[in-house]
Amino acid sequence: MDAAGFRTLLSTPMILQDEVVGVLSMWRTDVKPFDDRERELLEEFAAQGAIALRLESRGAELGSKVAQLEALREVGEAVGSSLDRDEVLDRIVSNAVRLTGTDGGSIMEYDESDDSFYVRATFGSSPDLVEQLRAITIRRDSTLVGRAALAHRPLEVPDLAQAELDPHLEILFRDGWRSVLAVPMLRGDKIVGVLVIRRRSTGAFPPDMTELLQTFASQSTLAIVNARLFGELQTKTKELEIASQHKSDFLASMSHELRTPLNAVIGFSEVLLDRMFGEINERQDEYLRDILNSGRHLLELLNEILDLSKVEAGQMVLEPSTFGVGSALDYTLTMVRERATRHAIAVTVEVADGVDTVMADELRFKQVVLNLLSNAVKFTPDGGSVSVRAYREETDLVVTVTDSGIGVPPEDQERIFESFQQGRRGAPKEEGTGLGLTLSRRIVGLFGGRMWLESTPGVGSTFGFSVADALERTDEVASPEHGGLPVVVLVDDDRASLDLLSAYLDGSPTQVMRARDGVEALEIVRKVLPAAVVLEIELPQLDGWEVLAALKADPTTAAIPVVIASAVDDRPRGLALGADEVLRKPIRRDELVDALRHVGALTSESS
Amino acid sequence: MTPRRILVVEDNPLNLKLVRDVLQFAGYDVIEAQSGEEGLRVAQQDPPDLVLMDLQLPGIDGTETLRRMREGSLGRDVPVVAVTAFAMAEDRERAALAGFDGFVEKPISVRELPGQVEAFMNRRAG
Repeated sequence: MDAAGFRTLLSTPMILQDEVVGVLSMWRTDVKPFDDRERELLEEFAAQGAIALRLESRGAELGSKVAQLEALREVGEAVGSSLDRDEVLDRIVSNAVRLTGTDGGSIMEYDESDDSFYVRATFGSSPDLVEQLRAITIRRDSTLVGRAALAHRPLEVPDLAQAELDPHLEILFRDGWRSVLAVPMLRGDKIVGVLVIRRRSTGAFPPDMTELLQTFASQSTLAIVNARLFGELQTKTKELEIASQHKSDFLASMSHELRTPLNAVIGFSEVLLDRMFGEINERQDEYLRDILNSGRHLLELLNEILDLSKVEAGQMVLEPSTFGVGSALDYTLTMVRERATRHAIAVTVEVADGVDTVMADELRFKQVVLNLLSNAVKFTPDGGSVSVRAYREETDLVVTVTDSGIGVPPEDQERIFESFQQGRRGAPKEEGTGLGLTLSRRIVGLFGGRMWLESTPGVGSTFGFSVADALERTDEVASPEHGGLPVVVLVDDDRASLDLLSAYLDGSPTQVMRARDGVEALEIVRKVLPAAVVLEIELPQLDGWEVLAALKADPTTAAIPVVIASAVDDRPRGLALGADEVLRKPIRRDELVDALRHVGALTSESS
Repeated sequence: MTPRRILVVEDNPLNLKLVRDVLQFAGYDVIEAQSGEEGLRVAQQDPPDLVLMDLQLPGIDGTETLRRMREGSLGRDVPVVAVTAFAMAEDRERAALAGFDGFVEKPISVRELPGQVEAFMNRRAG
């Protein structure tokens, strides 16, 4: 100070809450003592200065706290969002090292089976070091890492040169590391792993750093535990999938094994009942009917169990086609007519305007309607009535079956859809599998619809279901380019033939729609105006000749090419009526494809 | 006119007997085979007018048997009809692609089987 030429000096400590945070000095270059007022002023400035200083250091502290919180938030997010364990651990260790200003680190996971630790993530380590760390086994009983885990608290080695080195520390020391901190990762009392932080310089790790690292350690614990749980979940899911597949396979093969002998039971009963090999007496006839009915009942049960298991395993494949709702309902009616007549039950079908056709799996649709209809007939007393109605609710098709039966009490109205609950509807003598409604409701679910029941005991029940009509929805984009692809309508009453023709067109750039009789064929063709019609001649209701004539007589459909595909061999008549191509069954794939190309429904480059 | 001959390939002896008896009663000549291999042998020796074949067979299955029959002496004009389980839509599709000329659904209907068989033969004969 002499050199600076100071002659008089006044210094005062900067005190804040009894703590000296600095010193404030003033001086003069001439000799003149400071008076009281000057002294007071200086003390005042010192107090202000102390506050300013504290604020600044608080600011810096705050800044580092913010950085810590940011890092922890990032780590927390990683733990919460990603279940890729190694990725999360990598992030944790890199954040931990960066935030503590250290040079490197690793996360070791504890493996209970051999009581050792294994490296899962590293940061600030050369590939060579990583390889060495991965190669060694870090035992729990004889290492720093193990001791920290056992002690349930962080342990440090401030100078590796002065310490007794375990194999792990030995590697670190040779790689140039000089101080190490091991923070245990615990879940309750269980050891999950250890977070290791290292520096290339010697020195103790400050307590606040250790504290911060414990937060990272618990995040790492969470990441590992999450990953383990997720792994377990995946294994369990896989096991469940396999078990479910086994169940399906078992049911499929069991169903085949049971079906085969039933085939014989049903068949031979029929042979005898038909008197194929001679007369039988009344009692024999009665018993044979019992055998036949029991056989059929078993078969129905078998089919329903198989169907239900398919639905549950997500393996029921729907085969959507476009079909006439009216004719489908009529078909199911014929199946119960005999029984209804026997019990003097009047069954009526009512199809509202605008219902026409629906796009759904026809077989399954009929199965559902038949189930409701036969239940209705079964639970309606003699002389009662059953009515089936079909109408549209916006684009959905709704079908209801109403009976004048015994009804279902409110408390059973939901239960009745559960398996084997039919007994609750009274009529204990009635046959039925008790699976029908369960299955029907599941099938309707696959249709994108729902099934419900409204019932008043003593008055009757109405079962209803809806079908989300795929056709109605795509109808808005309009034909003839149905769904972007040219539509080919296949008309045949034989399902097998339809399957075959559809299979032939599989993979061609066409959309196939099916019709099973002449009336339905006309309905569909008029609705979608397809690119071509493939027509069988032998059809119920209207035969193929009549369909062809009707199409050619109607200006809106006259231009639609028709390919006759039939066993009936009358080429001249077909061509005379306006058919573009006449194919004779059996038809090969190339014949069908050529014919459709010829009429322009398939482009020539497509096969 | 000699009765028309139907080859029935079915591994279950009771079902084989049932189909045989019903078809014989309807006036057909029935040849039996309990496996695809046996069916191939019989069809080779003495070609039938129609083949009725179960899809699920021990050894080579119905689809493979059909393929070998078509490659062998059985002409394109002999209809081969698959017997499939009612509930198995995928069977039907598989069979359609494999080139069967038609289906009879199991359980077979004793009353309808002769008519179904006749229709398949007439379709071919035109």
